[in-house]
Parts: sequence; structure tokens; C-alpha cells
Amino acid sequence: MDTTATIVRPRLRVVGGVCAGVADHLGVPVAVVRTVAVLLALCGGAGILLYAWLWATTPVAEAAREPRMRESLTSPAGSRTSGAAGEPGGGPRAEQLRRAPVTEILLGLALIGAGGALVASRLGVEVPLAVVIPGIVVLAGVALAWRQFADLRAGGTASGPTLVVRSLGALVLVATGILLFFITGETPNVWTVVVAAVSVLLGVGLVALPWVVRLARDLGAERAAHERAAERAEIAAHLHDSVLQTLALIQQKAGAQSEAARLARAQERELRDWLFDTAPADDRDLASELRRLAAVIEEDHAVRFELVTVGASVPAPESLLAAGREAMLNAARHAGGDVSIFLEVGRERIELIVTDRGPGVNLDAIPADRLGVRESIIGRLKRAGGTAAIGPGRGGTGTEVRLTLPVAATAASAQGAGPLAPEAAVPAGPAPTEPASSAPADPARPAGSDSPEPASSGAERENGAP
Amino acid sequence: MTELRIAIVDDHSIFRSGLRAELDAGLEVVGEAATVDEAIALVGAVRPRVVLLDVHLPGGNGGGGAEVIQRSAASSPETLFLALSVSDAADDVVRVIRAGARGYITKSSSGAEVSDAARRVADGDAVFSPRLAGFVLDAFGAAAGETAATHDELDRLSQREQEVMRLIARGYSYREVATELYISVKTVETHVSAVLRKLQLSNRHELTAWALERKLL
Repeated sequence: MDTTATIVRPRLRVVGGVCAGVADHLGVPVAVVRTVAVLLALCGGAGILLYAWLWATTPVAEAAREPRMRESLTSPAGSRTSGAAGEPGGGPRAEQLRRAPVTEILLGLALIGAGGALVASRLGVEVPLAVVIPGIVVLAGVALAWRQFADLRAGGTASGPTLVVRSLGALVLVATGILLFFITGETPNVWTVVVAAVSVLLGVGLVALPWVVRLARDLGAERAAHERAAERAEIAAHLHDSVLQTLALIQQKAGAQSEAARLARAQERELRDWLFDTAPADDRDLASELRRLAAVIEEDHAVRFELVTVGASVPAPESLLAAGREAMLNAARHAGGDVSIFLEVGRERIELIVTDRGPGVNLDAIPADRLGVRESIIGRLKRAGGTAAIGPGRGGTGTEVRLTLPVAATAASAQGAGPLAPEAAVPAGPAPTEPASSAPADPARPAGSDSPEPASSGAERENGAP
Repeated sequence: MTELRIAIVDDHSIFRSGLRAELDAGLEVVGEAATVDEAIALVGAVRPRVVLLDVHLPGGNGGGGAEVIQRSAASSPETLFLALSVSDAADDVVRVIRAGARGYITKSSSGAEVSDAARRVADGDAVFSPRLAGFVLDAFGAAAGETAATHDELDRLSQREQEVMRLIARGYSYREVATELYISVKTVETHVSAVLRKLQLSNRHELTAWALERKLL
């Protein structure tokens, strides 16, 4: 028989899908199960109660791929319950032996009790309803409390309102049951009073237990976290006062270009990242991508990037990041020393400016078969809807690469170039550089490059993010 | 040119001696201090023109460099403070600036850079590191397009001030900023001083909230 391991209700159903689920589970035709159910329903409503119980406790098909314990009916205890209710149970599974679905058992017992009592009273038997009804209510209350407790133990993250409603329900049920017990006692004596008192205490205790457990656990976790934070702060303070100072001193003494300064700077950055936990929540943030990139390039080149970012945090646009990477690499290779990177994320456009104090770049002097700058910086940004300008840096020395990307272009549409960055009003410097704005204006021209590498390397680096 | 009398306040003797050895000849180190209390006593006693002040200092009431500035004001009003920090944390730096420091530079700056900054402070100018300039642009909402309408508005930067700050954030020296904007170096200094004043007096909540939130100045 192709039976399901647990009773699951199919998504396509006539009433609640219970009969189909049971039929699937037992490998019995649905019609047979439905007939049995109808017959049971005629027996004083027992079938209806059973149906309701199964409906409430069995999961829906898709959610049942990974049946949670409290929702499955295949553990031995569960199957015994369903057996008692007139249904042979499914085969027990070893790994499920450990935790019985107490909730379902208790709820089931309560319902069976109610059904049985109804049938009995219909048949004229004298049923002590004064005892049965409170008993059932107590069972149901305990079941709800247990369910909540099991959730907590399993680390289940029940949502707040659900938990509150369930707990309140459990509390009310237990209290009501016990009160009924007490009130309906016809001849109250010392023992009934004692039993009632103990019951109330137990009931309340049971309901409150999950909260107590969780409170204790939260308190412990909080204390542990606090201790960790305090310890970390202490270490951070110490490192800050000793190692960072020394690293700063090494950099100050050694000069930006030296190997020692480079190492000290790399160490300082690592330490600082750890100390101040600067890793942002969004790893794809443009500023943090650039920072990471700067760190990687600094490791391989005698260069010191001074990265200043202004404005809101934005996800890194691939084109701008790749072009910026190329500009930074060029600055590191051909200029070195102090290179400043300025990123400003405005409302309308993102501007990234890489400035070095190197020998400057002359786009005209670059061999036409080299693709580097034209393709990887200017062409790439133009395709993305932005502009790139390469010209002399501050005071006419060095190189300044100014990349501008309209914010609109960072969204899906790479259409329509944004406002061109205002051209830097630089007096004619000693470096015979071509005004950069002319470069993007003529992308069809065979591109040139000052890069010693074949052009493909730039494109390859695009994928190999640090 | 008379020698500029400066004091170095830092709790690390290795840093003090290192900096002392690196400073230009025109600067005379008249004293060193390692704690808040020592620093206050020193400033009161020798009255240096410029104090190179570490942001983080032990002692006193735990206020660090800011406390030194505030408590020294009475005993030596003519002393100016230049904050040195290794932390780069915005809240630290903004605190000393608001306490009255005339500028801020990082500890990894070279001896020549520190000397230059000290001279500039002695001349009454403000010293902004690129990162401080970037922070100012952010804190005053320049990136979001906020621009002061009147000159005496404290909570926003004027168009010109924003331009100056942008260039400083990009590593330009005052002279380079002046060339770039076709203004005199003195005008650049005026703008920077105006920004420093706003930084010290403004009540923009970003100045404090932002600094606490993002420690990346």
C-alpha cells in the first residue's frame, strides 16, 4: 500500500480534507472512510467530534513535508489515541518515539470524553456531568498549556499574539475547570478543598511554567551577551590604546609609500574593523564595497587610499563599481602614494572621484590597441547611462577620474545620461592631458589604454569581487 | 618667524616622543602631558599657543580631550587646540570640536602635516581632515541638497562652504582649493572657519545622532 507516513489533509478537499487524509494514510478508499465517518457522526455526534479533532490537529499537505512533531499523528501514543477513537494507527517511527504529541492526546481525550458522555446520556445512563464537564475543560486547558511549553522547548518561534491567546486560553480553561470542580462538589469537606487548592496551584503553575522557563533563559542569555560585550569593550579599549597607536606611529614615521606603512595600515584596518564592528548590515553597500576594494588594492600596491563617503547608503551599481575599481587600480599602479577617493551619493546622481598625485595621464599618448581606460572606465559607465571624465588632478598635477552616474540609471533603466558633472575648472597644468569630457563623446574611436594588461583583465576582474 | 610654542598631550609616551622628533624646527615643544589633569595643569602653567591634543585621555572626569579644552579655557584663554585622534570615530571628534578644538587630524599624519596644521591653527584658521569634511557634508545635509539660504544660518552650509568642504574631502590643500575655486587662500580659510563655527554651534541633531550611529568619520 502506498500510504503516507502521517495524516495530511490534501489541498483539494470536500469539507475539511480529513477523510481524504485518513484514507491516504491508511491506504483505504475514501468512500469507506467517509461512510465510517458518517456512521460515527450518527452515534451521538462522536464522528463529528472526531472529525473536528482530526481537522484541528492534522497539517495541510504542503506544510507537512517536514511534519512537526506536535502536528503529526504517527507516533505510537498518537496512533493509540486514534486507535481508541476507532481508527487503526499508522506505523511508529523510531525517531519520533522521543516526544509524544501530548497536546493532541489530551485534546483527543477531552473530545472523546465529551463524545462518550453525550452518547451515554442519550442512552439514558446516569452520567455525572458535574464531574465530566470540568474534567474535560481541565484536560483541554492542560493540553493547551503543554503545547505552549513544547513550543518553547523546541525553540519554536510562535508569534507574540498567538502565544498570548493560547496562554490566556489555557489559563482560563484550567481555572474554570478547577472552579467548577470546587463549586459542583456536593459535600465539600477538607479533602475536596485541599485537592481544589492544589489543583489551582498546579494549573496556574503549569500555565506559568513556560513564561518562567523563558524568562530564566532570556535572563541567562542577556547576562551572557552583556558579559561578552563588556569583555569585548575592555579588549577593544586596550587594543585601541596600545596597538592602534603604535600602528599610527609606524605609518607616521615610515611614510605612505613604504612597505612598513603599508603593512601597518593593513593591520590597522583589520583591527579597526574588528574593534568598531564597522561591517555594515548591507554588504553590497557602495561605500563598503569601495572600502573593501581599497583594502585589497593597498595590499598589493604602494598606495594609500583616503576614502571619504558622503550621503546615503546605496547598493553598489555594478558599472560604477567596476569603473571605480579600474580607476583605483590605475592610480595604484601608475601614481601610488596618497590617493583620495571621494564618493558622494546625492539625490540625483552618484559621484565617485579618484584623485592621485602621480605623473598624470595622457589619453592621446596611449596606444590604440590598449583598451583599459577607454573601455573599462569610460565605455562601461557610458553604457550604464553615466559619464566619466579623466583629467589633471588638483593644481594641475596627477590624475583625476570623475565618474558620475544618475541615480535613475542605477535602477533598472540604463537609459538617458544624467547631468554631466560640472567640469573642473582647472588651469592648464603641466601634464599635457586631454580634456576628459571629449572621451565619452567619441566612444566609437578605437579605444586606448595606459594599462599594461590586456583589456580582458578588466572585465574578468568584474566578476572576481574581493 | 618666532617659534611656535606647542604642547603635546597624549597618554602614550612613545607617540609623544615620536611626534616631538618629527615636528618642524619652527615648533618648540614646551611641555608634554599624559592625562587630563596633567594637561590642564600644564596648559595653565606654560600657556602654549597650540596644544596637540589626543581625543582619548585618561584621568579627570573621564571627558578626555574635550574636558581638557573646557577646563583650560579659564586659565589660558589664548591657547588653541588641535585634536589628534587615532579612533576616527565621529562622536569623539565632534565632541572635541564642539568643546572648542580648532581642528582635527589623524594620528597617522606625517610630522610635516602636523606641523603645518599646528601653524594654521596658530594663525587662527581651522583644520579639517578629509574625513571631517566628509562628515560635515553629511551632517549638514549637503548630499541631500540642503543649502543655507542666509549667511548666518547655523544648521546648513552655504553653497560655497559646500564646495570648499567637497574639495577638502577630496584631499585638496587650502591652496589647491583656492586655485580650483578662483578665490584667495584667505577666503578658503574664512569659509572653513565658518564651517567650524557651525559645527560647534549648530543644533542639528545629525551632528550627535549621526555620529553615534555611524562610527566612520
